[in-house]
Amino acid sequence: MSERVATVIKPVLASRRRLPAGREVLLLATLAVLVGLISLGSHGAFWSRVNLDNLFVGSAITVIPAIGMTVVILTGGIDVSTGSVLGLTAAIGGTCFAAGWSLAATVPIFLASGAVLGLINALLIINGRIPPVIATLGTLSIYRMLVFIVLGSNWITAIPPALTTIFVVDHLLFLPVVAVIALVFLIGAALFLRHFRWGRHVYALGNNEEAARLAGIRPERIKLAAYVMLGLLTGFAALLTLGQSPMVQTSTGSGFVLQVIAAVVLGGTALSGGRGTMLGTLLGTLVVQVVDDGIVLLRIQPFWGGVALGAVILAAIGLSAHHEIRGA
Amino acid sequence: MSRVELAGIAKRFGGVVALAGVDLAIAPGETHALLGENGAGKSTLIRVLTGAIVPDDGEIRVDGGVRRFAHPKDARAAGIAAVYQEPMIYPHLSVLENIFAGNEITLRGGMIRKAAMAERVRPWFARLDLSDDLLDRPMGRLSLGYQQLVLIAKALTQEARVIIFDEPTSILSQSETDRLFAIIRRLREDGRAIVYITHRLDEIGKIADRVTVLTDGRVTGAARADELDETKLLALMAGKASRNYGKPRPDRKPATETPPAFEIKGLCRGNLYRDVDWSVPAGRVTGVYGLVGSGRSEVALAAFGALPPDRGEIRLNGARIAPRDPAEAIARGIGYLPEDRKSQGIFATKPLEANLTASALFRFVHAASRLDFGGLRGEAARLIGRYRIKARDETIAIGTLSGGNQQKALFARWAGQSMKLLILDEPTRGIDIGTKDEIHDFIRELAASGLPVVVISSDLPEVLAVSDRVIVMRRGRVVTVAEGDAMHAEAILAAAVGTHARAA
Amino acid sequence: MHASGFDRTRPLLLLVMAAAALGGFALGHPGIVSTQNLDSMAVFGIEIGMIALGQTLVICGGDTGIDLSVGAIAGLAQVILGRLLHLDLAWPVAIGMTLLAGLVLGGINAVAISWFRIPPIIATLATLFGYQGLALVLTGGINIDLTHESPLFLAIGQGHVLGLPLQLVALYLPLLAAFAFLQHGTRFGRALYLAGTNDRAADLAGLRASRIRAATYVLCGLVSTIAGIVGAARLGTARPDAAGEANLISIAIVVLGGTGIFGGTGSVIGTALATVVIGIVDYGLSYNDFNPIYQAGVIGVILIGVILVENPFVAWRDSRRTNGA
Repeated sequence: MSERVATVIKPVLASRRRLPAGREVLLLATLAVLVGLISLGSHGAFWSRVNLDNLFVGSAITVIPAIGMTVVILTGGIDVSTGSVLGLTAAIGGTCFAAGWSLAATVPIFLASGAVLGLINALLIINGRIPPVIATLGTLSIYRMLVFIVLGSNWITAIPPALTTIFVVDHLLFLPVVAVIALVFLIGAALFLRHFRWGRHVYALGNNEEAARLAGIRPERIKLAAYVMLGLLTGFAALLTLGQSPMVQTSTGSGFVLQVIAAVVLGGTALSGGRGTMLGTLLGTLVVQVVDDGIVLLRIQPFWGGVALGAVILAAIGLSAHHEIRGA
Repeated sequence: MSRVELAGIAKRFGGVVALAGVDLAIAPGETHALLGENGAGKSTLIRVLTGAIVPDDGEIRVDGGVRRFAHPKDARAAGIAAVYQEPMIYPHLSVLENIFAGNEITLRGGMIRKAAMAERVRPWFARLDLSDDLLDRPMGRLSLGYQQLVLIAKALTQEARVIIFDEPTSILSQSETDRLFAIIRRLREDGRAIVYITHRLDEIGKIADRVTVLTDGRVTGAARADELDETKLLALMAGKASRNYGKPRPDRKPATETPPAFEIKGLCRGNLYRDVDWSVPAGRVTGVYGLVGSGRSEVALAAFGALPPDRGEIRLNGARIAPRDPAEAIARGIGYLPEDRKSQGIFATKPLEANLTASALFRFVHAASRLDFGGLRGEAARLIGRYRIKARDETIAIGTLSGGNQQKALFARWAGQSMKLLILDEPTRGIDIGTKDEIHDFIRELAASGLPVVVISSDLPEVLAVSDRVIVMRRGRVVTVAEGDAMHAEAILAAAVGTHARAA
Repeated sequence: MHASGFDRTRPLLLLVMAAAALGGFALGHPGIVSTQNLDSMAVFGIEIGMIALGQTLVICGGDTGIDLSVGAIAGLAQVILGRLLHLDLAWPVAIGMTLLAGLVLGGINAVAISWFRIPPIIATLATLFGYQGLALVLTGGINIDLTHESPLFLAIGQGHVLGLPLQLVALYLPLLAAFAFLQHGTRFGRALYLAGTNDRAADLAGLRASRIRAATYVLCGLVSTIAGIVGAARLGTARPDAAGEANLISIAIVVLGGTGIFGGTGSVIGTALATVVIGIVDYGLSYNDFNPIYQAGVIGVILIGVILVENPFVAWRDSRRTNGA
């Protein structure tokens, strides 16, 4: 898109191109400004233990699936069904809780059902040759329907309190346990993408699928792994969501995928694939969450949250898209 | 003994025979040029050699032993590597990562050993006179010439003993080409076997030891390079010895005294071109010759509104114009045939009719902006007949036609309208010689009808064949304008390359 | 083949599916094929059908074109209309102003995509958040009651002409005709197909691809607004979340109707047929007392099913064509 003119003249311009301003720097600055404004406006309430914990728990629950989404988008794909996957795994796991299963016995259920739903997406995309947006658009509706079938018209509230205690209430290194787990995952994913063969293959695939195939990389396997991993992480996020607010209803997770994609894209991962980092995804998530948090703290009508988020996305992407045209 | 030997290689795609039993032997320490028109089977042959496709029939022998390449990995393991025409790169990955993509050096757990990879590349970078600083740069930010050198380094790193170059110079500047040739000679001296694919006959003498010509999937000629001159090569390629191709056109007209119909003065844009003057008379073909990167296409794009200049003036029939986009340029009567047929020209899945009339739609509008479909079909049929486009009818998708017919259709898109100026950028790139001659005839007819025509080309015989005068560009500047007796190949080439020694 | 590359297989398939769906429901409940039920079926499908018309043009324009903000525009339009009506403006004036607002909302998408070159999926995701938020801000999250407005206004969603729903006869069919003409009969439509097929070639042929695409987002915003107005009149209420799922369902309908997600192909006619299929399935399910969410699920199944069935068929046919060539 931005390359319309640029590609016409690419042979000449491909040399001496300046580095585009790092998205990470832009996001850090945005974050600093937002935090500054909010702490002034809220008379320091932003820095209260309770608020920070809420912020970290919310960020952790978004960032865990966002890790998987980043990898999926890096391969050149996308998954819009994540919210329904979260809802359906929560419904399945919640049903197990309601049937009296222990926490330890149910955790694998969350993970496995998430992974299976991701696997179905992957098979439709890879073996069914359906474009990712369309395939996951379909499963978005189907999985949501299944939520209704599993739950009927009931809400599940029989969530073991231990779940909340372990992941949300307890702290490790001054952070809620979920936040620590999310950080560990993020660092692990970042190291994996950067320093391991498969991680580099994810980027190679997203940069040039044909070349990667000829180089002996198997795109199908990587894509399969990416969608399954996203499903697995979403299943884990479903578990954490129940720790944050112990209730499953038919709408659990709807709208969630837009938050996740917004965070990833805001973090600088290109929808065309092959470019993006875990640090960007973390910062993107934090910006999204801080905006939400600020709306609450500043006692702004909560509905402005969407407007603010939309504006931040347009501004950040618009700025860098514009920059790339100029810089190219 | 041959390093690589192909025997009876055959490959069909659906009903089309791409290779019909090809034999080819490539010796170590030899540069083997592979010639042939587009569609002759060169790329299929390369894909067989590199394991990208499996032949239906035939044998591949490496150092005498029969091998079966089921995957590119197998060919790589046998020491065969290709440097592709359109570099197969990963633009957002570093140079080092590009070299080792799919072939990383890792610890047992899959952890990448960057230092070890850099260590492995360094000697080859030194051999190619490349700086180690490049290793961490994103591949997409290197010039095409450097990208190609990186791909050569990649082939060497993989211990390739057979290196295939697929039209490597088509994207290079002259100095880059010279450097590449020096490197190829060095590789040959190492005892590597080089397969060199090209369209450019003038390169054969400079670089090749042996020449093999492919036509319609068969070997139709093979010879030692020093036994061949250009006439014999052309005869081999076209299958006709009598073709008088590459000679100046017989009906070349002298310059007119009338003021130019189209004029560019002092045009500048960044580091693409500077102080460019073009003067294009009506009723003549003005050739613009220059190597890729000389700024010739960019000046044309400026006149067409696609890439506005920083400074300078453009005049059409005396009036100053500054089109902001192609639509405006077209409204002023300028037509531009883009150089890249596939990505800038055709709408592959759309009918021939829609392709022929894409820039003339405004002429076929009824009241309420309804399109005149009858008129469009009639116009398409007229153009198909007039320009002898071989197609079942105007409803066939243009992508299913041969390259030559696609190019004719794009030419007809502009030539069929009454424009005030036509700029044709590489009007015959990559098409067969027969169609090439036809298009050259059409170009002359256009000029004869009184139109100013600009033909931009990096194909010197073509420029000589169609032009009345030639503007030569080098590194963003006009270096010479040749007319009449000054229009001979050596002088123009020397000006474009920048070596005046040979011109004298 | 037509310039649009419009394939005849899909419309036939859709007609068969519509007949089969209707037949299937009729087997269980013969009463379903009554005038009154067919009427309700039409009313069910019209609003999403209008949005899908706009979505068709957007997707046809290519360059990863997609509009995720359609539902948010419909909701925001309803809310704007509701607020204006509560200001005691005459209803035609209020509708006129709402339509203008719709043009602006579509225009914002167009500017973000064509001028600032933000990828469509991101730009419209952002405006989705923005418009949704604005709708909530304007209402405070509470539905606006419109049941006491002029009966003439309410007739837009509840009236009948010649025994058929007014919005079908007076709005949907004229809009469909206009869009079909625009897409298949005008220079704009031809340019849209060409731009969707090859963006750069279209620019170099003087077709101004990005302006053409910008126009599709504005049109899409406009039909989404009309759909929002019809919905408000039908239910006598303006809800900020009126068309929450409209983005996904409209895209599903467009793809089901045979428009390729990569642009340059398809037709609003196919979209209209797909809307009929979805309308029947939707209504049939609710007639059989299924929760509305099943409708979305069934749409998902149909969407994936059609592509899974069609992909091997198209591959087989294409291979035959190549062999014959």
